[in-house]
Amino acid sequence: MNTVGSWLKERIPVSGSQLREFTNEPVPNHLKHWWFCLGGTPAYLFVIQIVTGILLAFYYEPSSSTAYESVRYITHDVAYGWYFRSLHKWAATLMIASIILHQMRVYFTGSYRKPRDLNWMIGMTLLVLTLMTGFTGYSLVYEQLSYWGATVGANIADMVPVLGPFMKRMMLAGDSYGEQTLSRFFILHAAVLPVSMVFLLVVHISLIRLQGVTEFQFKKDQAKGEGGGHFAFFPDHFLMEIFIGLVLMILLSFLATVVPANMGPEANPLVTPEIIKPEWFFYVAFRWLKLFSGTAAILSMGLIVFVMFLWPFIDAAIRRRWKGSEFSVWLGILAVFALIGLTLWEAFVAH
Amino acid sequence: MNLEIKKVIIGILGLLFLASLVIVQFLEVVRRREETGLSSHSISVPDSSRSCVDCHQQQNPGIIAHWEGSTHAEKGVGCVECHQSGESDPDTFDHYGVDIATVVTPLDCSRCHPTEAAEFAQSHHAAGGNILASLDNFLAETVEGFRGSFNPHSPTPGRPDIQSVNGMSSSLLGCQQCHGSKVALQATEGQAITVDDLAPGPDGIPTNVEALSRIKTDANGRPLFDPGTWPNTGIGRLNLDGSSGSCSACHSRHDFSPRRARQPENCAKCHLGPDHPQKEIFEESKHGVAYRDLKDKMNLDGKDWVLGEDYAQAPTCATCHMSGHSRNGGKVTHDPGERISWTNRPPVSLVLDTDINGKVVKETDPVKRKALIHDFAIDKRKRMKNVCTHCHTPDYVDAFYSQYDDFLVLFNEKFAKPGQAIMKALSDEEFISKKQFDEEIEWTWFYLWHHEGRRARHGASMMAPDYTHWHGMYEVAERFYQELIPQAREILEHAREDGQDEAADRVSSVINGILSRPEHSWFEND
Repeated sequence: MNTVGSWLKERIPVSGSQLREFTNEPVPNHLKHWWFCLGGTPAYLFVIQIVTGILLAFYYEPSSSTAYESVRYITHDVAYGWYFRSLHKWAATLMIASIILHQMRVYFTGSYRKPRDLNWMIGMTLLVLTLMTGFTGYSLVYEQLSYWGATVGANIADMVPVLGPFMKRMMLAGDSYGEQTLSRFFILHAAVLPVSMVFLLVVHISLIRLQGVTEFQFKKDQAKGEGGGHFAFFPDHFLMEIFIGLVLMILLSFLATVVPANMGPEANPLVTPEIIKPEWFFYVAFRWLKLFSGTAAILSMGLIVFVMFLWPFIDAAIRRRWKGSEFSVWLGILAVFALIGLTLWEAFVAH
Repeated sequence: MNLEIKKVIIGILGLLFLASLVIVQFLEVVRRREETGLSSHSISVPDSSRSCVDCHQQQNPGIIAHWEGSTHAEKGVGCVECHQSGESDPDTFDHYGVDIATVVTPLDCSRCHPTEAAEFAQSHHAAGGNILASLDNFLAETVEGFRGSFNPHSPTPGRPDIQSVNGMSSSLLGCQQCHGSKVALQATEGQAITVDDLAPGPDGIPTNVEALSRIKTDANGRPLFDPGTWPNTGIGRLNLDGSSGSCSACHSRHDFSPRRARQPENCAKCHLGPDHPQKEIFEESKHGVAYRDLKDKMNLDGKDWVLGEDYAQAPTCATCHMSGHSRNGGKVTHDPGERISWTNRPPVSLVLDTDINGKVVKETDPVKRKALIHDFAIDKRKRMKNVCTHCHTPDYVDAFYSQYDDFLVLFNEKFAKPGQAIMKALSDEEFISKKQFDEEIEWTWFYLWHHEGRRARHGASMMAPDYTHWHGMYEVAERFYQELIPQAREILEHAREDGQDEAADRVSSVINGILSRPEHSWFEND
């Protein structure tokens, strides 16, 4: 054993105590509450997406003549193909949901404020990249709704002033959804976007590690004498994350088995479906676009995303101007109600 | 705002978000299941049919349950849309303030499905009611039954009400349930009223007002159907509005399920049995074997059902004869004859060149024949080959058709035409009467071509070897050599006993001429 240990130490000059120091950042006591540990959930689901995505990519063929059939083959013929496809689908849904929940928690607790403002913007970028990954992934199935969803998505991009036509062409690899579109979506979905996300996740987590987790002291914890204290990352917090991961896996397996991913009719560019819907996480944007005229809707939506990106700085300016202002909390409540309301609205109506 | 309040805000908003997510996912899953046919769709009851649905839900829940499963229900096509009728329609009646008719005809369906109705009108299916004047019908109405009614010859214990025997029952419940009845309304005086009496115009409105005035109604003013002619969903039903057929023969009411119409069992209401066992033949064939095994993968629930796009595991009757495929742009036809190149229905199989009315061209002069043909059999075959080649190579398909042609020609030349010639000779010399089925040899000949001969030919057409041979040609041959020829000779023997030697010799020379041919020489001459 000593020989092996020396051999390894010679090549990886990290001692056990250095490794412990690296992994054993003291974790604030409030993280003992499991709902504060959900920041790791998107990362956990992202790993599931990578693993199941690689398995699906073994069989997926990104061209208009083969895409649908290959997804059908995965779903019906490949051993456990239906299970991994369903896991992939449901993990995407849960990943986006957990990112939104994580973002809500960060927002309402003001954890985005200096010096964590940069990390907020990285998180926002991760959210946008996740939505783009969801969009491109949905389009890969090449069924009627995904085809027309992508077509509508591209037409929406086209409405952006000045840059719109260019964005649409870049998106579809041409003026309309053609033979090159699927391969472009596939490369974006399976390579460009996930690699970018891995890079940003590393930066995101490194910054958390460097700056430390925002500390909260709840009265209840203080009463118990736990306020302001810390506990070990490894094994205490690590086990908590493992526990959450296992619960998620059970939930995912349940969803994949009880409500497996199915397939609509194959894409037919000549037949426009009666009802076109994007994936649920775009319902809010889709409904917003229906509420206003084309360019106004696009510009207002762009402005909202822009404000979300820069919120830590805008918030700082507001707080400087009006000390003790709770504007951010009320705005946040309004935003969440708008998100829920518009999403439900779009879900309930056909058009 | 302290941390505790923010915790509550986060908790409430988080739970609200999760709850909305569950609702959205539920709606999404329901929508997807509907879209992929895994669950029943949402139903839209139009206002005009609301009261119909509410009342018939209580009175006839089966009708409503079926309708709820239909695409009609999904699209908001209710009861009135199909059953509505004009004031001048003969079978119209006021039903809670709405003029409706009970029987829905292809003319009614054509209001929304004009292409399908037009294709169907051209088809041999639509002409199925023409059997009412055919040999088969004579068999059912006269030989099996009686054209009219007669008194029972003894009482039926327990049913003192039976005072009359309907001689047409066999035809009505047998032949006409597949071929279609001539729908009739009871009359206040005289015979029941049919399309012949009403003389409807192209819009289905009767031109003979006198006939309308004789229609018998019940106390509520509802016209009374002749129970001998309705209920009936025969495919060639002769309707009061002048249209032929019944769409519900294949698209069973009231769900009009495409899934069911795509399955061979649907066709088997009529295409089975001793004289045209297409369903059994299909089951024996490799096509049927593949279908039984793979039907779950054939996307039978799909909105579209295009061979080569939505499925390719196995064919059904609909696949080859009617459904769209990847080489014709997915175009469905409602004329199953569009892809059939021979008709095996008559005693001698005919090349299925058809005229402008879809009727078989029987002209033998090549020039005149060509002028009459509107749709050539060779083109029909090309259409079928376009289906076949989804699963078989062109060489394979060509070779099959070569085998099939050879088989039909063999049947025609060795048994069908000779049998026909012998029967004609016997009839010409008046050794058998003009009346059908009163002599044993007529039954023998009928079995030979109508039952065994068709089994053989249909077996060959759909690649079922056992039906081609043992249930087919073997029995044809046995019937020909062991029954038809001996019975014909026995008739001639009796004729000679009656001093009709010359006539008997003429018929005998026909028989001997046939038997001296190389293909028959094994029988007596070798």
